[in-house]
Amino acid sequence: MARMSYRDAIRETTAEELRRDDSVYLIGEDVGRWGNLFGASAGLLEEFGPERICDSPISEAAMTGCAIGSALYGMRPIAEIMYIDFITIAMDQMINHGVKYHQLSNGQVRVPVVFRTQGGVGMRNSSQHSQSLENWFVNVPGLIVVMPSTPADLCGLLRSAVRSDNPVLLIEHKSLYFTRGEVPEGDYTIPFGVADIKRAGEDVTIIATSWMVLQALAAARTLADEGISCEVIDPRTLWPLDKQALIDSVKRTKHCVVVTEAPAEGGWSGEAASVVHEHCFAELRKPVRRVCGMRTGIPYGSDLEKAVVPDASWIGDAVRDVLA
Amino acid sequence: MSDNEQLMELYTQLLVLRHFDEFCYDLKMKDLIMNGFHPYSGQEAVAVGVCSLLREDDVVFSTHRPQGHSIAKGSSTRAVFCEMLGRRGGVSQGIGGPMQWIDKPHNFFCGSIVGSGLPIAAGVALAFKRQARDSVAVCFFGDGASNTGAFHEGMNLAAIWKLPALYICENNQYGEAMPVQEFVPVSRISQRATSYGLNGVSVDGMDVEAVLNATADALEQLRAGQGPVFIEMVTYRFRGHYGGDPEHTYRSREEIAVWRNRDPLTLARTRLLARGYSEETLDDLEASVQAEIEGDMEWALEQPFPTVEQATDHVMIPLGQD
Repeated sequence: MARMSYRDAIRETTAEELRRDDSVYLIGEDVGRWGNLFGASAGLLEEFGPERICDSPISEAAMTGCAIGSALYGMRPIAEIMYIDFITIAMDQMINHGVKYHQLSNGQVRVPVVFRTQGGVGMRNSSQHSQSLENWFVNVPGLIVVMPSTPADLCGLLRSAVRSDNPVLLIEHKSLYFTRGEVPEGDYTIPFGVADIKRAGEDVTIIATSWMVLQALAAARTLADEGISCEVIDPRTLWPLDKQALIDSVKRTKHCVVVTEAPAEGGWSGEAASVVHEHCFAELRKPVRRVCGMRTGIPYGSDLEKAVVPDASWIGDAVRDVLA
Repeated sequence: MSDNEQLMELYTQLLVLRHFDEFCYDLKMKDLIMNGFHPYSGQEAVAVGVCSLLREDDVVFSTHRPQGHSIAKGSSTRAVFCEMLGRRGGVSQGIGGPMQWIDKPHNFFCGSIVGSGLPIAAGVALAFKRQARDSVAVCFFGDGASNTGAFHEGMNLAAIWKLPALYICENNQYGEAMPVQEFVPVSRISQRATSYGLNGVSVDGMDVEAVLNATADALEQLRAGQGPVFIEMVTYRFRGHYGGDPEHTYRSREEIAVWRNRDPLTLARTRLLARGYSEETLDDLEASVQAEIEGDMEWALEQPFPTVEQATDHVMIPLGQD
């Protein structure tokens, strides 16, 4: 085990995969000279050279299409979209093409591409650099959507993503890059569709994603002082979803709160709540509560941007409410 | 191969594409092709001229009007008929339909989002360059594509990285119902390529030998690793944007007649006659091509439709096998 930041877990895992397999390459805006905005690929250009750490023009459709095309013919690209907000420019290439080719080829074509990007608040970057857009992608058949919340999960899931022949969207969070944690040594992988219980508890199940897992854990610590035992579950992959883990937990705790930074309406939080309602209706003592970001453009400024997305106090209030 | 034999082969392929397309038009009118059919009649010289010089390992990306390119790249007419008809046995097993299929053994892809092929073709070309292969990626698209973001992003990427991508713009004079002069402010679309440092050339896309010669030059440059090539093929579609569109709303019979006078099949046939082939030989050839295509169509009409189970196959590789 080594203790490292989420950012360093990205860099170390990427470097190991680049060393392991010559067909892997990283492409994105300023992944080389800058080594990514957060340093998540710092130093890789020096080790692997510009053909494998490939600085792309500010041209998300080109970069994404390029990654897809190269993946059709033997390469294993990691395409980095600097902010998930920029992915709108790349979505035709991803969704109408990259994700469709396996089916359109009757299974003969594989598209082993990883789209890495980051979303959420935390940099006072306002409404075109701070969104949580994962909900859109959960609705795309054929696309795996991953949101790791810890350095270890990032490491294991990124490695699985690079080695998968399915297209994978891996969404990081800008407020997680400098969080730290233990990362297993060696060839550590985590399968898709397997949730992780981040904190075991008995009274209520909190299902949370990405940075919201940290908020949920903070809430759980506070609530423990009040005698409330929270179980915090991180699905880690939004799709495929580990439904059984959610169901097993809620059947025990009989209460459920779902937390996402993205707005609730039409989103994955509704999917998770629906799974719980469909399978745990008899056990539930109260309807599932959702704690989600406000339906607004993310405002500028650290106080305001944090004011429109859930934190530990919102989650604590919701838990008290479902237990009341 | 003598020039005569080569032209005869090209002419045969032109006939295959024309008769295939005309049978498809009839199938669309009978609603047996359910939707999405975009006729290629009139533009055959482009597909035939370009693809006749490609190797099997070269990759082609095409458009919502892909049947000519696909057959010219090697797809069987039976498989393409089946795809048009939504039958099992189609290039994409009847799931893709007339605008989107993949024929992996022939390295052929197409899709119905205008302009979207250019970046993907650049990516294929990037893989070939990294792997030190001399294969090329060819991307067909229309005049309308030249206004999309993906067109400019993709061409720029291929240009800055000197990728072996051949960009073929089939300027058939209309983007759906809109005349090209109304949406492109320059007289030649190839001028757009020059702003990316490419030698944009414009070629008579009704003349299969002109297409062939331009493509030969391009492939020489591409296989030598000298970067992408852009060719505008000036052509015309004889039928509507889609099978059965209200053509009279945007173009006149007189205009169509002028272009039909430059039918690529007639041009090739006239040259063959001048080189000594008899009317009878060429008529017999056409009759045999037509009969063969008709037989393929009849075969395709006998094929089953996919089941619902097959329609949900291969959405993704099952976890654990990926």
